[in-house]
Amino acid sequence: MYDLIIRNGTVVDGTGLPAYAADVAVSGNRIARIGRIAERADREIDAAGKVVSPGFIDPHTHFDAQLLWDGCAKPALSHGVTTIVPGNCSLSLAPLKASQRMKLVGMFNQIEEMPLKAFKEGVVWDWETFAEYIARIRKGLAINVAPLVGHSVLRLWVMDGAAMERTASDAEIAEMQSVLRECLDAGAVGLSTSYVDMDETLQPVPSRFADAREIDALASVLSEYGRILQIVPEFYDPDLTIARLDQLAEISLKHGIATTFSPVFVNADNTDAVERVMARVDEQFARGARVWPQVQTRPIDISFCFSVPSLLFFRFPGWYRLMRFGTPEEIVAAFSDPERRAKLIAEAKPYQALWPRLILRQAATEANRKLVGKTLGEIAETRGTSPIEAMIDLSLEENLEAHFLATSMGHNDDARVGGLLKHPRVHIGASDGGAHILSFSTYGDTGYLFGHFVRELKTMRLEDAVKKITSDTAAIWGIPDRGLLQVGYVADIAIFDPQTVDRDVERYQWDVPGDGSRYVRDPIGVDTVIVGGGIAWSAANGYQEARGDVLPGARNTGPFREAAE
Amino acid sequence: MVATHLSKVRRSILPHAGDSWATIAGRELSGLSEQEAVAKLQSWNLHVFMRAPAPAESPRAGNPILPSDVIFVEPPLAKA
Repeated sequence: MYDLIIRNGTVVDGTGLPAYAADVAVSGNRIARIGRIAERADREIDAAGKVVSPGFIDPHTHFDAQLLWDGCAKPALSHGVTTIVPGNCSLSLAPLKASQRMKLVGMFNQIEEMPLKAFKEGVVWDWETFAEYIARIRKGLAINVAPLVGHSVLRLWVMDGAAMERTASDAEIAEMQSVLRECLDAGAVGLSTSYVDMDETLQPVPSRFADAREIDALASVLSEYGRILQIVPEFYDPDLTIARLDQLAEISLKHGIATTFSPVFVNADNTDAVERVMARVDEQFARGARVWPQVQTRPIDISFCFSVPSLLFFRFPGWYRLMRFGTPEEIVAAFSDPERRAKLIAEAKPYQALWPRLILRQAATEANRKLVGKTLGEIAETRGTSPIEAMIDLSLEENLEAHFLATSMGHNDDARVGGLLKHPRVHIGASDGGAHILSFSTYGDTGYLFGHFVRELKTMRLEDAVKKITSDTAAIWGIPDRGLLQVGYVADIAIFDPQTVDRDVERYQWDVPGDGSRYVRDPIGVDTVIVGGGIAWSAANGYQEARGDVLPGARNTGPFREAAE
Repeated sequence: MVATHLSKVRRSILPHAGDSWATIAGRELSGLSEQEAVAKLQSWNLHVFMRAPAPAESPRAGNPILPSDVIFVEPPLAKA
């Protein structure tokens, strides 16, 4: 007698081998049998016409805070994602001393655009160590979590304020090694660091004050555990990215660990950048280094309003400083003052191609609601003004709550992105799930992969796409017993319709603590998501069982499986 | 493991403890005057040179170089 049988489905097992018709039986939290199954089970799911695959693994997320109030990491789970990796980019929520909490909140707010109010009203701070944080998020966990330790946080723990001023002493490095061991013993999957990020005062984050010997010492600890190092390189510059991946390669070779860097974007302004980076990746892999580049599936769309800072304005220092440090009243005053307004417009003017194509996506007043969906170019024409002036005027009329959408800001060359996604050494990831919640939806990248690159463009076989986001990811990250539909593996399973699977349109949702909102996308074509043998979500009944786990969990000394190429 | 050749990429270094533009110039571009070498380094490393200054009270005020920075010691390579 099995606990669950999924009948009549098409099994895409995560190996990349061709799909086949079979039933899948689950006993406890494990896959017990695959084939034609005559026995009955307590629960049965009819998957006729649907694909039954391993659950998807998202290796680049920032769900650290959301997991404190939402053990499902909604809506990621409903898209078929059964394992998430939070703690990327040098930022995790542990280990963290009580005195350092607000510093970390400031960094999360600046770097990942997580609202301050969500931290203040959604988080009960009752942990300091990594083990305590793990114990905290385990309660009600419906999705699996493979958490990274953030290097900036580790430095803060050991060095406090000096973490943002200088290199570490030998004694401090030894203490960081010791704390990292404690985190890995508690279940961390690896360490993350960043070479680009800035804190809330626009000064470099602590990880950027580490010298090479500190990174080397921490990598030696990762080596003891066979765990991964994730970095954010200076991705805007191919020469810098190549220098970083060479640095990573030496670490990988010396310590025998896997490394990954993210993001890698296809950029129309720098057309040969990706090819140069990938050529270097190939050379380093040929030497034996494991330097996995992460590439996201979706194009870059950015929404913004002037009541919160937006990464769209990084390239306009005057605008960005006003949004970052100004109160709403100060922003309104600046927009209303002819002299300051003229200065802002002058700074923005060189980017003439951008402003007319911005779309007004949300307005509260009756008068402007009829303009929703129109471009600023169209609105400016009817108002007899310029697109930038129209953007400012609309923002004033809407009390800074006019929302604008910039579409196709990059990574939207299907041929080149598709070529990258199917490259055997490209690791599909970099969703940033749970971050930038007021700039874009970070959910549904897997649906976009299947709907756009598999079904619409036929860039990849379905079996290859599934392999990329299941067994390859599990192998790269050293997550045992997940990522394949095979007897004995943990039953993390996604059931979806290959004819319809996709991401839905982006929408605004008010479900963030502190009366906060975010952009989300719902799944299309996903039928059921199973985690640890339990039905975690179904299209029919929504969120259900909470059988998520922390991966890889306690220290794993088992063999490290490589991704097959 | 197969030993393979790595193609030439733009030459860079990681800073030594306490490095400034002048100390890197003296070490990496010793054939040039300090003024000329520093000017070249700054022009090749705008990601460091153009960085927002540290607060006046910070121990790193006046020196934008971080211990983790990649510092290029030659201009971008010509396209092949």
